[in-house]
Amino acid sequence: MVDRVTTRLASVFRRRRVERDLDRELTFHIEMLTEQHIRQGMSRDDAHRLALAEFGAIQRVKEDVRETWLSRLFETLAQDVRYGLRNLRRSPGFALVVILTTALGIGANTAIFSVVNGVLLRPLPYANGERVVVLRQQQPLANVEDTGFSVHEIEDNRAQARSLDAVAEFHNMWFILLGRAEPERVSTGVVSAEFFDLFGIQPLLGGTFQNDDEKPGATAVLILSNKYWQRSFGGDPSVVGKVFQMNDRPHQVIGVLPAVPQYPLEVDVYMPTSACPFRSRTAFIDNRSSRMMQAVGRMKPGILIDKARADLDLVAAGLQAAYPDVYRPTDGYRMTAIPLGEEVTRAFKPTLLVLLGTAGFVLLIVCASVANLTLARMVRREREIAIRSALGADRARILRQLLTESTLLALIGGALGIAIAAWGVDLLIAYAERFTVRTTEIHIDRAVLLYTFGLSLLTGIIFGSVPALGGPLRAAPALRDGGRATQNRQGVRSALIVVQVAASFMLLIGAGLTLRTVINLQRVDPGFNTDNLLTMRIDLNFSKYKGEQIAAFWERLEDKLRALPGVNGVAASGTFPLNDSGPFSGPLQIEGQELPPNAPRPQVNFYVASPDYFATIGQPLLAGRTFTRSDRGSDRPVVIINKTMARHYWPDQDPLGKRISGGGQTWFTIVGVVADTLQRLDQPAHDEVYRPILQGGQLSTTWLLRTTIEPDVMERQVRTALNAVDPDQPVDHFRTMAEVRSAWMESPTLTAVLLGLFALLALVITATGIAGVIAFSVNQRTQEFGIRMALGAQRGSVLSLVLRQGITLVLVGLAIGLAGALVVTRVLTTLLFGVEPTDALTFLAVSMVLVAVAAAACLIPARRAASVDPMVALRVS
Amino acid sequence: MAPKSDLLQGTLDLLILKTLAERPMHGWGISLKIQAVSQEVLQVNQGSLYPALHRLEQQGLIASEWGNSENNRQAKFYELTKRGRKQLTEETANWERLAQAVARVLSS
Repeated sequence: MVDRVTTRLASVFRRRRVERDLDRELTFHIEMLTEQHIRQGMSRDDAHRLALAEFGAIQRVKEDVRETWLSRLFETLAQDVRYGLRNLRRSPGFALVVILTTALGIGANTAIFSVVNGVLLRPLPYANGERVVVLRQQQPLANVEDTGFSVHEIEDNRAQARSLDAVAEFHNMWFILLGRAEPERVSTGVVSAEFFDLFGIQPLLGGTFQNDDEKPGATAVLILSNKYWQRSFGGDPSVVGKVFQMNDRPHQVIGVLPAVPQYPLEVDVYMPTSACPFRSRTAFIDNRSSRMMQAVGRMKPGILIDKARADLDLVAAGLQAAYPDVYRPTDGYRMTAIPLGEEVTRAFKPTLLVLLGTAGFVLLIVCASVANLTLARMVRREREIAIRSALGADRARILRQLLTESTLLALIGGALGIAIAAWGVDLLIAYAERFTVRTTEIHIDRAVLLYTFGLSLLTGIIFGSVPALGGPLRAAPALRDGGRATQNRQGVRSALIVVQVAASFMLLIGAGLTLRTVINLQRVDPGFNTDNLLTMRIDLNFSKYKGEQIAAFWERLEDKLRALPGVNGVAASGTFPLNDSGPFSGPLQIEGQELPPNAPRPQVNFYVASPDYFATIGQPLLAGRTFTRSDRGSDRPVVIINKTMARHYWPDQDPLGKRISGGGQTWFTIVGVVADTLQRLDQPAHDEVYRPILQGGQLSTTWLLRTTIEPDVMERQVRTALNAVDPDQPVDHFRTMAEVRSAWMESPTLTAVLLGLFALLALVITATGIAGVIAFSVNQRTQEFGIRMALGAQRGSVLSLVLRQGITLVLVGLAIGLAGALVVTRVLTTLLFGVEPTDALTFLAVSMVLVAVAAAACLIPARRAASVDPMVALRVS
Repeated sequence: MAPKSDLLQGTLDLLILKTLAERPMHGWGISLKIQAVSQEVLQVNQGSLYPALHRLEQQGLIASEWGNSENNRQAKFYELTKRGRKQLTEETANWERLAQAVARVLSS
């Protein structure tokens, strides 16, 4: 039966064979005609020519024949569609349920796929995207994954890397834009001149950097990012050529970028390397170990990544040989290259694949559920189908009509699903932005529509053809009595339920695990008091304040802020726990704990803090003292360390008074030990060293105010206070610590919500399916129940009979789901915190929920079975 | 080719069905038979035979199978199906009714 249909369908696609047949057929005719003419006395050539003339243009005839094939196809299709629509109108409830369920299933898949398409599948939106690689230097033996690049190292790569035809650098800093209503902090990407050419990014307006722009003393120029241009200048094209006062110099806008993802991170504007005073310092340029920049390279056309990596290995080896004291073998120095596409999607890929798999499972459940519904509907139409086929209707035709109906429903559901997806995609884009920069290309484009169409078609064919396996199209048995066919069908329906239960189980496990992750993260104690803390960022104008002026500025500001009404504590630091930008990490030497000369140096996190910092944020001081205002300059180098570090390096001693150093020139005395705080909620405390903020010439700071005043009010007061100290100094990024913490929780929460929604949907569909199947079987067995009860069986035993049937189904599904989950949940590991992918508690809880829901679903039909009147039941036969 | 009128198309179909009512035949045989039986009056346009044959096959009125012709060549034979036979009976009845009606009109 099924293969007859497939042969019919296949024949449509076996065009070539059919064409060949047609050609043979017509050739035969012409040959016979030719021979007839030969017999009449013509020469072969004349006969053949006459035959061809009489036959008419062969191509024409072939086209006419092909036309009949095509018009027939459309005719039957149109007929099937009309017939299908008529049938569906007769059972609108069925059609509605199927359309809605399918819409949800396909909509979910469309939404997720549009994200997958925009982030993973589409080529990078840069002209040279496929050739761009991210260069990275590492010291794996010293536990440093990314050391950054120094000026010399970038130049060496440019000169020596034969597989690359361009190398560009990037580092992040800020400038202060003056001359507008408020001074504005502008995040800046400082890049080498060829940066945009390397990617193949053409500016939207104006031009890009030239080599001359990098020369020291060159005119200050900048290029605006598209987002900043839209936000700050309203997309005004006349901004190109305008001059703005930034810090101490006029800067001219020479271009605006198109709306492309910004690698490595989003900045407001770009400037050439000559713009950054730190990078332009001779001491910085000459020191091979002064590393600050990121580097990208472009592979020559035709070079593959393996070749590039091998090439870079050579360059690295060469540098190691030439400068052995800089690239110490104990650090395990190496250089690697990662294709840009991989790098920007790395963080998102695991989550995305989990979402895709989840959506796929939901669709599977939808298919099984709708197949069940279709099967149930088949039963009612059985007589009709049997009669039609007995009267000579082509059975393949009937099946084709059924398939058309189901495909029609699926396509309508798919169209509705697109609407659902369109609504969800915006949410997903906001979600994706936390993981990758490649969100600009997420939309419902042609590829997504094609995918949806294909998926709808496939869904329709699947749930349309599954009922055919049950064999309801067998004419004779159906007319006689439904016995054997019913059993077959019951088996198929039970199998479908088992599939649904197994898939729902796995979805629920995923949801449960991510839920526990969120709960675990909520419970993490970051080590300080997060209530009533207002944070802000102040990056000082580095052109205006130098040396001791910086410390003086911070002091003045601190006094002003402390004097504000309602402020109970003022803290200043480089960054704070849970902030998105983390601390510096660097190597450490400990006096008295000299390591053997070739051992790798330990890495710690370095912070700066004001004297009141620890008290203000509620980080307890465990020993020694905090900083004072006299800890400044270079005459009293002091540091404070945290408990983890103290325990790590001085487990049985008092660390107070001991000395440490970074590079070995200056030795700092430890004067205090503070409790641990967590920089990230999902990682334990690291070794931390705090330096006084007044000591190091810290320009980039965050300030935290302990206050119960409303944040908006407080913000205004802070601005006023800062204005009094320096009206050209901006402050921005006001957030309460509560907001900072929730921002932290957003991604895992959203993941859990998504998985939870899918799991809930799956559960509802499955429960309905179970209820349906049990109700159906109860219907079939009415007679049996009647006999049982007439013979004395209690209502309770009938009830338990039905329940047992349902629970058995669920348990089988559970077992399969369990096995599947144990295998599959491994992919969730990167999303989880504090819970194993095979967590017993979650598995147990989900099993109980599933069994309970299934029992509830069985209850209604079971009650009906138990309330059957034996007399009524026995009469129906 | 000029658009065929429905009448002509239906007529050709009927002739084909009738020809195949006796025994299966290939396209060449059908065209010969129609020519012969109609005493050369109906010259079947050789080309238009094949679109008609394929259309009838699509409609399920005839079925095809490759076989050996009289002179041992591979040819596509057509035969009438059950539905085709039924159709032939109906159409023949219609045709005769039509012919009688026309005759009555013309002789009145």
